[in-house]
Amino acid sequence: MKDISSNKPLKIFIYISLFVILAPMVIITLWAFTNQWPWPNLLPTNYSLRGIKEIFAPYGKVFPILISSITLSLTVALLSAIIAIMTARAIVFYDFSGKELLDFISMAPNLVPSTVFAMGIHVVLIRMSLANTPLGVIIVHLIYTLPYTINIMRNLTESIGVDMEHQAYVLGASPWKSFLYVSFPLLLPGIIASITMAYILSFSQYFVTLLIGGGKVMTFSMIMVPFIAKGDRTLGSAYALVFVLSTLLVFAIINTLLKKFQKREEKSNWN
Amino acid sequence: MNKKTPYILIMPIVLLGVLFIYGVINGIVQSFGYIPAFNLRDFTLDYYIEVIKSPAFLDSLKVTLHISLISSILAAVLGTILTAALVYTGHAEGKVLKVIKLAILIPHTIVALFSISILSQNGLLARLFYKIGLINVQSDFPLFLYTKNNLGIILGYLWKEVPFVAYFSLSLMSSINKTLGEAAENLGASRLKSFFHITLPLSMPAIGKAFLIILTFSFGAYDLPFLLGATVPKALPVQAHVEYIHPDLRHRPYAMAMNGLILLITWTMAGIYYLLSSRNRIKGDKHEGY
Repeated sequence: MKDISSNKPLKIFIYISLFVILAPMVIITLWAFTNQWPWPNLLPTNYSLRGIKEIFAPYGKVFPILISSITLSLTVALLSAIIAIMTARAIVFYDFSGKELLDFISMAPNLVPSTVFAMGIHVVLIRMSLANTPLGVIIVHLIYTLPYTINIMRNLTESIGVDMEHQAYVLGASPWKSFLYVSFPLLLPGIIASITMAYILSFSQYFVTLLIGGGKVMTFSMIMVPFIAKGDRTLGSAYALVFVLSTLLVFAIINTLLKKFQKREEKSNWN
Repeated sequence: MNKKTPYILIMPIVLLGVLFIYGVINGIVQSFGYIPAFNLRDFTLDYYIEVIKSPAFLDSLKVTLHISLISSILAAVLGTILTAALVYTGHAEGKVLKVIKLAILIPHTIVALFSISILSQNGLLARLFYKIGLINVQSDFPLFLYTKNNLGIILGYLWKEVPFVAYFSLSLMSSINKTLGEAAENLGASRLKSFFHITLPLSMPAIGKAFLIILTFSFGAYDLPFLLGATVPKALPVQAHVEYIHPDLRHRPYAMAMNGLILLITWTMAGIYYLLSSRNRIKGDKHEGY
């Protein structure tokens, strides 16, 4: 590395970026634990647990909604990852008629804003009596996560190839077993990436859930946004904090579970 | 392996794809005024013509283009600088990248809350200005939110999109710099020269694609303009939703015509992008021929 000194402006740019990313999160965390923060103080004058307590109060329904919201988004994420694995395998390993069309369709939701699609599909879902139901919301969320998860799984499937799995098959393993024991462990990093990606896309949705769920399907975003719209900083921040922390917790659990699974697989393979 | 296998594998995506296309087409058909359920059966362009002629729509269109163009261009430039900074200071992986990923994970609704607590006249920035004597009363602080300049929305998008552009183009720029960029430097090119003549041009496919994604996203997005936008003019997707939930159901085709126009503009943006990028590729191929 020559002329290290020329890196200085770049380093400063990184520090500024990190500060700009992290500062709002610190401010939100402070607000979540604040009772009073009057003008023109730069720091709160009075800390309290009011916001957090209000969220988890037994009379409120926030905690059950948080759990059902996490369940809904996990369902979307798992289905999205499974469909992405299937689609990626079909596109990478097989030749079939309509392949180019399928390739295009799997990426098309990226080219149609979710607001436009949600208003278009709404009437269709009403007719199928799927509007205002969790299933309807899951389907629409799923359509919007698939371009991302298919993209992830496709690249990985391409780079792993089919040869090793084929060997297992030739040596007598069933197609399902040769997939499960050979390709699946290799696909795990992509599966984790797909699940987390689809989860965050689904858990963040506001407009689509509002329209398709019709206020009957309550997710965490749906109860958080009214406080932000009102400008209630204490409660809005408390909700935002729970949003971020619960997401990080879900990610950590997914990561450990799948990593554990991978280790077990490796062990059983070696024995 | 079995001949049927691919068809079994693609069954779920085909089902969802059909539903997706059906939804889009259904919206477009409604935009031509054909909604039998509401007793509207004439196939007509009138709704489009009326929407395009109305000054309120043109104001909405201007505001939406203003927000998405400015935020996306700035995000692409700043994001590219951030990518380069990460590559050249050896932060292409590790803790710094984790922080950048954190910004991608935060939803736009929470970004709106950031804007409110920092940029409002009662926000932290206004307090800071007051403390150092730049303003004397709260109302001296310039308006960023719920106002026509939409600065709160643009800054909100930047907060999300600069890290996105960096994350999206990081792996390509990092690998190009490691191979071709450093080769050029070893052959005597200055670092700046090798960046502007080799690393940056070769990273453009990723940067361009990231730009297209954020441009079309911010043009059709609802959350930030809904939470931080002015009452008049509203961003197009917000205005379309207002028409959509209008108690008089005859307003429905207007909402759908606005959606049709949003689609048309989004696809025009994508079309221009593909034209430009394929023309550049042909030019590049010719160069290689020499």
